[in-house]
Amino acid sequence: MATKTTRRTRQRTIAGAARVTSSYRNKWTWDNVAWATHCVDCYPGSCMYHIYLKDGKVAFEEVAGSAPADIKGVPDKNPMGCQKGAAWSRTLYGQERVLHPLRRVGERGEGNWEQVSWDEALEDIAEHILDAIQEAGPETIVHEMTPAEGGTMAVWPTQRLLVNLLGGVATDVNAVINDFQPGHYITWGKFNPASGAGSEPWTKLRLIWHCNPVYTQIPNYHAIAEGRYQGCEVVHIAPDAGPSSIHADYFFSVRPGTDAALALGMCRTIIEERLFSERFVKEQTDLPLLVRLDTKRFLRESDIEAGGSDEQFYAWDTAKRGIAKAPKTTLRWGRVKPALDARRRQVRLADGTRVAVVPAFSLLRERLNRDYTPQRASEVCGVNAEVIRSLARKVASKRTSIFMGMNVCKYYHGDLMQRAMLLLLGLTSNWGRLGSGIGSWSPGSGLEGQGIFSQKERPGLAETRRVLAMRAQLQQMTEAQSATSDTPEIAAIDAIVRATRAGMTGMVPPAFFWYHHCGYRERWNNPEWGDPTMRRSFDEYLQEASDSGWWEGVVKPAPDKPPRVLFEVGGNMLRRQRGGRTHLLQHLWPKLKLIVSVDWRMSTTGRFSDYVLPASQHYEKPNFHLASAALLQLKYSDNAAEPQGESLSEWDIFRLLAQKIEARAKERGLVEYTDSAGRAHRLDNLYYAMTLGIEDVNKLVDEWVRDTAEAGMMAKGESLKTMRKKGHADFTRVGENVYTLNQATDAEPGKPYTSLQWHTEKRVPYPTLTRRAQFYIDHPWFLEAGEELPVHKENPKMGGDYPLVLTSGHNRWSIHSMNITNRMLLQTHRGRPHLVMSPIDASDRHIADGEEVRVHNDVGSFFVPVKLSPSVMPGQVICYNGWDPYQFREWRGPMDVEPGMVKWLHMAGGYGHLRYWPIQWQPTPVDRAVRVDVAKIETTTSTRPALAAGQREGSRVFL
Amino acid sequence: MSRALPQEKSSRQIAMVFDLNKCIGCQTCAVACKMLWTRDDDRQDGTDYMWWCSVNTMPGRGYPKDWEQMGGGYRDGALQQGVLPTRADFGGGWDFNYEEVYYGGKGTSAHLEPVGEESSWGPNWDEDQGAGEWPNSYFFYLPRLCNHCTHPACVEACPSGAMFKREEDGLVLRDEERCQGNQACAEACPYKKIFFNYQRQISQQCIMCFPRLEQGVAPACARQCPGRLVFVGYLDDTEGPIHKLVHEWQVALPLHPEYGTGPNVFYVPPLAPARLNEDGSPDEEHPRIPLDYLEGLFGPNVGTALDTLKTEMAKTRAGKKSKLMDILTVYHWNDLFGPFTRDPATLKLTPVGKR
Repeated sequence: MATKTTRRTRQRTIAGAARVTSSYRNKWTWDNVAWATHCVDCYPGSCMYHIYLKDGKVAFEEVAGSAPADIKGVPDKNPMGCQKGAAWSRTLYGQERVLHPLRRVGERGEGNWEQVSWDEALEDIAEHILDAIQEAGPETIVHEMTPAEGGTMAVWPTQRLLVNLLGGVATDVNAVINDFQPGHYITWGKFNPASGAGSEPWTKLRLIWHCNPVYTQIPNYHAIAEGRYQGCEVVHIAPDAGPSSIHADYFFSVRPGTDAALALGMCRTIIEERLFSERFVKEQTDLPLLVRLDTKRFLRESDIEAGGSDEQFYAWDTAKRGIAKAPKTTLRWGRVKPALDARRRQVRLADGTRVAVVPAFSLLRERLNRDYTPQRASEVCGVNAEVIRSLARKVASKRTSIFMGMNVCKYYHGDLMQRAMLLLLGLTSNWGRLGSGIGSWSPGSGLEGQGIFSQKERPGLAETRRVLAMRAQLQQMTEAQSATSDTPEIAAIDAIVRATRAGMTGMVPPAFFWYHHCGYRERWNNPEWGDPTMRRSFDEYLQEASDSGWWEGVVKPAPDKPPRVLFEVGGNMLRRQRGGRTHLLQHLWPKLKLIVSVDWRMSTTGRFSDYVLPASQHYEKPNFHLASAALLQLKYSDNAAEPQGESLSEWDIFRLLAQKIEARAKERGLVEYTDSAGRAHRLDNLYYAMTLGIEDVNKLVDEWVRDTAEAGMMAKGESLKTMRKKGHADFTRVGENVYTLNQATDAEPGKPYTSLQWHTEKRVPYPTLTRRAQFYIDHPWFLEAGEELPVHKENPKMGGDYPLVLTSGHNRWSIHSMNITNRMLLQTHRGRPHLVMSPIDASDRHIADGEEVRVHNDVGSFFVPVKLSPSVMPGQVICYNGWDPYQFREWRGPMDVEPGMVKWLHMAGGYGHLRYWPIQWQPTPVDRAVRVDVAKIETTTSTRPALAAGQREGSRVFL
Repeated sequence: MSRALPQEKSSRQIAMVFDLNKCIGCQTCAVACKMLWTRDDDRQDGTDYMWWCSVNTMPGRGYPKDWEQMGGGYRDGALQQGVLPTRADFGGGWDFNYEEVYYGGKGTSAHLEPVGEESSWGPNWDEDQGAGEWPNSYFFYLPRLCNHCTHPACVEACPSGAMFKREEDGLVLRDEERCQGNQACAEACPYKKIFFNYQRQISQQCIMCFPRLEQGVAPACARQCPGRLVFVGYLDDTEGPIHKLVHEWQVALPLHPEYGTGPNVFYVPPLAPARLNEDGSPDEEHPRIPLDYLEGLFGPNVGTALDTLKTEMAKTRAGKKSKLMDILTVYHWNDLFGPFTRDPATLKLTPVGKR
């Protein structure tokens, strides 16, 4: 088909074509191509790129499009990428890059630096570390743990030296980034069953709920759109008709923080209309278990038999008309027909008295009927009552998935919202089945070779085999020791809990660090900002928790051991910490004798550090994306470009630091010391212990890959060389670490991923107190709080009684803060932070689009230009996360109005699964729906606003 | 590298379809384009401010600001001059005070911000603002690049003979040596997708990544699009998705067809969630995005196109098959790219002088 052209155009066609300059063709050329990925905690991420190099520098990168099309009927995942990935090399060569070791000159935060040699910097740091060890003990060395900017290559060497070898403390990453899903944990005994990759076409109803995938799931969003084309109905539930509503079939606006009421209103409809799956409820959940009406506690064997177990529960067997023990080794009830009805039955206790018992289901139903009729739920959450009913019927009749991100867990009562959502899914048998479930994330299944390396005493495969044999032996011993009723998952959790308490894992829940050392005690005790249903002060709860030994072994640094040395490795505490840059500078910074920031870019935390040490970036060091069980591939990023300036890989930085520490310790005559957990640490062989004689980072990575293959997780023969060639290696199986066991699924390449299938299909018990998905928590604190069942509670007035709620969320333009200063990406928005606001609220305050305003509450204030959008719910304001504080006037941002509250109930322990192990049960800070007001800035001639409280004119302290 | 010599007229036309129901406004297409063609790190070639491919939130003033009010194209067959967008209408191209903030010794008194003149517009200034009133507010994303029109007003308007429509694939290109920079092209282009290079005193616009097409590789905007929504191919390929979407299903429409330039970039128009009544119940009768607004953008056939999409989507909801939904789903990524499926990493394109 020839297109019509006018005469003049036709003439030009002839005349011009030959003249097109070849400059464009010359521009699109390169010397060589290498594999790359961006080794950041962008979940599930793992986008493969090719980098195109010219004259030794990265000219540009492009998606590789190499994802296999391995599931029939499922669109392939290609190309996997985003704008950050497409512009990554602009960060590599950007002005935010740090190229030389820098030492502070003058006050912290002043911004004056001197360039020093690596030798000089590391020597001084080594001296400070040894001072801390000798004067106060190694637990005063704190690694603020985040996987953020450096990936596998950043976290591992830091942990190896500072925590494992020296005995320092790492703050648990999942509390630091608060991506812990407490409601999942309370219900399932684990927060991390990951959502399904490749299962999208089986989902027939997708509730995008507390997630903004249009911003946060750029590489994967297509699966939602394609699933919709293939027949899935998409419903978006959020306060604002924001970006992720635009491609939904329905958008329902929920008042911020009232999602539990919405979910419970749906649950009520499902139960009253008898739409629930009776089989699933009886088999998978604790709802048939009997509860004593006098104490509101489960009926236990210890109630009815002297010396009976505290962890044996009962149902009412309608076949035998008596109580029946709930099986602990399987979810199957066998011949028992557990009752769900409301009839009160009498049970004789050990002391001869009789008590009335009912199934937990009956209490749930009573509560739903009383408080969560669709009409009452509607009055709370603002969603139309008939919509609640019709949505409930859809959930009950369609394969449903809740597309949930890491937003709900950042609400004060996010646990209750999640428990209510899980109840909705549990009633309708919507987990553990292809295409169903709810979002979360999981590490694990990773580069096993790293873990093996940590146990090796010398390099090489022979030693690897020794370690593997030792592990197998240990595994056998653990199995022999564990109770016969334990599943491998429960045994693995028991083992890691024990190791954590003995100080073996090095990670500690940071809530106690923040409380004792960072000035949060006063805030968390402020009754105005906490939940009004707390019966006692935060201090009293904390006292009880610690007197009860619930957090034994993990309260570090101890209250009487102020931290001395702080390491940030790709982290940016002064940006991310809920509760504020200002607060930490006031309360933590003065205690620290040394602050070291290892990073490839200048962050706000770096700017307030004593040393900024330049790390090499992705493309400059061999590195891997953090692997997840849901993606059965390990993705590799090649060191195809030379490190810029004097930058070094984190391996080299910590290896050289170990060498310095050993040398300086020898001069001090310090050979050995014992940490507070009683573990001995030697310094005279520190360098060998760190490196096993391997110095070259390429050799180290090769060792990791070969050992992973040796452990049977990859095909034999995989090595750094094969990774360089293919860009990835397939996992042949997932590892058997506790986090992959938590997935409870037989993940196989080429098969869509569904977590929790061992529970739903093989009837393997859940790792909870009752061994079932547990909706009824009879811990005394939960009963005291009225949270034994999922309920709705109003969001506390965090920050004070102000009319607007700051909901916020992850931004579109950056993964955390690492691309937020990329000049090219800054041009894709307004180039500076902004506050999204409803035109209605703005007009009430005479505020125009683009105008700078003051956002304030009782915690603090910050200045920010306003962006008006009618999609925002009146009463709601949004300041997307990720801006580096130094992008705000006076370096104050939303983190300065967030009090950084934690929910007291999450300090509960001593109850089945309510116990700490790394990245699991612990108090995590919340930041959503902080109360604020927005004030117009009255200016006359100057645009510079008056100094905020705490800012001292002319002061040398830069708070 | 050899190419066939141009013949009398363009025998074929390369076209694109953007499925707006998959577009999430992530700007990857825009960044992918910029990385290749207008990245001007050392400010040597004058392209730093240009975003040949840009994505805007609609309704909105767009890029350049208020481009829809600037005119151009044809009326009754006659070329219209239109308004020449200024550098300020494009905005962007900001530099930032990194040095001052990091190393200037100014504590917290200096923060990172664009230096120079107050920034008041850019390639994506009105992102996510949209129109309407909560909860019935609405917006969608519209990626735009040169439409490589069948009747390119820019070529017609060019007095120096620098612009031409390439014979073999219908691309609208410019002989930069011949361009005298009088910007008649930019005045005439109704889409205002022609940029002026103030350093070189010439105009420039999207080249549809012709060096890539020549190697069988899809344009960067299409190949890097994570939303899998950009179809590329020859419009006359009756077996290809573009022909099917544009001509058979008629669900892909040109933008502002009233200008008469015959754009060869087509859009699957946006659906939107159901409106909500006063009481919060869904209103299935009235569209959230007013139809007259969409007709103003995509012409009078947009209502029919949306109805077709809804009808076909209802089929898959009912568990039935829909060929249209299968095309839009895109089971294999490379199905998007017609004959341009080559992986560039397999090419050896060594710079001139190193060969």
